[in-house]
Amino acid sequence: MLPLPLANILHHRLRSLLSALGVAIAVCMLITLSGLARGTLEEIAKRWQGVNADIIVYPAHWSDNITTIGGGGVGRGDLKMLKSLKVGDKPVIDYLVPICILQGKVAKVNCNIVGIKPEDFHLLVEKPGKKLTGRIFDPHNKFAKWLEAKLTAPSEETLSISRAELARRGGLEMVIDTRLARSTGLKIGDKVYVAGHRFKIVGEIPAGVLARAFIPLATAQWLMDLSMGRYTLIFAKLHNPSVMGDVIRKINTTSRLKATSLGQYRNMLEARFGIMYLYIDTVNTITLIVAMLFVLVTLYTIVIQHRREIAILKSMGATRRFILREILAEAMILTGIGTIMGILLAPVAGATIEAFLPLLTVKISPRWVLISILAAAGGGVLAAVYPAWCAMRMNPAEILTLE
Amino acid sequence: MHKSFKAGEMREHVLRGLDLRVERGEFLAVMGPSGCGKSTLLHLLGLMDKPDSGSIIIDGQDTTYMDEQTQAAIRRRKIGFVFQRFNLLNVLSGYDNIALSLKIRGLDTDGIDRLLASMGVAEVARKSPEKMSMGQQQRLTVARAIAHKPDILLADEPTGSLDSANTQTVLEMFKRANEQDGLTIVMITHSPTVASAASRVVYMKDGKIIDGNT
Repeated sequence: MLPLPLANILHHRLRSLLSALGVAIAVCMLITLSGLARGTLEEIAKRWQGVNADIIVYPAHWSDNITTIGGGGVGRGDLKMLKSLKVGDKPVIDYLVPICILQGKVAKVNCNIVGIKPEDFHLLVEKPGKKLTGRIFDPHNKFAKWLEAKLTAPSEETLSISRAELARRGGLEMVIDTRLARSTGLKIGDKVYVAGHRFKIVGEIPAGVLARAFIPLATAQWLMDLSMGRYTLIFAKLHNPSVMGDVIRKINTTSRLKATSLGQYRNMLEARFGIMYLYIDTVNTITLIVAMLFVLVTLYTIVIQHRREIAILKSMGATRRFILREILAEAMILTGIGTIMGILLAPVAGATIEAFLPLLTVKISPRWVLISILAAAGGGVLAAVYPAWCAMRMNPAEILTLE
Repeated sequence: MHKSFKAGEMREHVLRGLDLRVERGEFLAVMGPSGCGKSTLLHLLGLMDKPDSGSIIIDGQDTTYMDEQTQAAIRRRKIGFVFQRFNLLNVLSGYDNIALSLKIRGLDTDGIDRLLASMGVAEVARKSPEKMSMGQQQRLTVARAIAHKPDILLADEPTGSLDSANTQTVLEMFKRANEQDGLTIVMITHSPTVASAASRVVYMKDGKIIDGNT
């Protein structure tokens, strides 16, 4: 004998499909929206951990609560001090990469723009699988040398450098990441206005490392009105990562600087998003409630249509437990099918969002998959139990006579 | 027995002091004009509703104020229903409609094919009831009602939707079950011809038995 719940589902195929789809949409929405919010923030933090370095060194006056990274708090003197660091009489630093960070808009997209020396770009940013397409900006450092010479040359005239000259000297060149390229439609050879200057895109790097846009360090310092020897922070690569703890401790004893591992810095960055996570969790909770209500309404109408069936079962002497079990089984089967569909749809939805909005990241979290399963199950049980209970309390004689 | 229903702000008294005795193995027909309370009587006898006052005694047991689960148990074991509008589950095949009835009662389904053959619906039993003719549906309803070998069969206008040939077939099934298996039958009907198949006929009017009672 075909079980009654299955018989109901197969007999009303379209209704069952639409019900399962309703549940699937609710589940998919919950998983995808929660993944979108957290994924985007985590991607920002993860990019910092993707660089070829072990330690990040920053000004001591930065606290854990600072959300904006910028300025020129470290200098050449700090570079010299770091270079000379030793642990057990052995030099520990392999290389140092100073960078400047400015916030700007590239083709109307807000992003951090990193100023970095061209030779340091290959050290810090490029890695297997993440190679530059096109070329690096100012490949022989000609612009940096010219600008430094210009800025340090004694002259009685007021220094004035035109945009045209900056461009002619190769200072207005930019490398962008693939996500920014996809999002804005920019490609190698295009020109884009940033901070009032017309930059030429000369290269493209796979996304996931440090920032979306890179310009010559000297250009960043010029735009930020910093002297040539000032930087926002310094990345350090060690000969032997096992001495990382000792190196960090040594740096932290100075009054000017602080250091932390890149993993720790990522956590600090994520902690800075604290208020955002509260916002995200609030939005997710509302989405959860909406998803449950969606499931509830979808299945409630099905159960209401079972009044006549319940009355027939009662006329045959079916117990309440039997009737409730049959109704619940049908609701749970539909919920289960819908939940599986929703879980399978979520990565597709995430990939679609990332394809159309490349700057967003959807991270499917097992925790939210579990929450959505429980929400769907909870909604399904409520949707089945309450109307079934009401229908069971009705007079079957009345229902069978009238319907 | 007394039974009334709320109709808007008024109260409609359907049964007004009805007294009825049905002997074991009796085939009783209940006739009366529309609205005299015949269906209400049947629902009360089937423990699908409770009277306002009075009692329903089945096999010496006063079932009137038993809890719902106990009444359901009595319905499971002792009572079978045949409705005028069939009330079959269209989501199941004819065979599965009977199998479900037996499953609810905790009985095995071995004899279903034989029963269906005796009812003349074996060839359509694997179809959904909505694909059967009215006569086939009603024969299937009768088969479902008696598959678990109840003590009492309650039939509400069982031939109301049928032509004369199918009517005759259903009545013959009732008579066979009553005579051969001792099934007690209470049948509501408008038709004197149908009522004549019964061993006794009672007449209802205005919520009371007015003739034919013992």
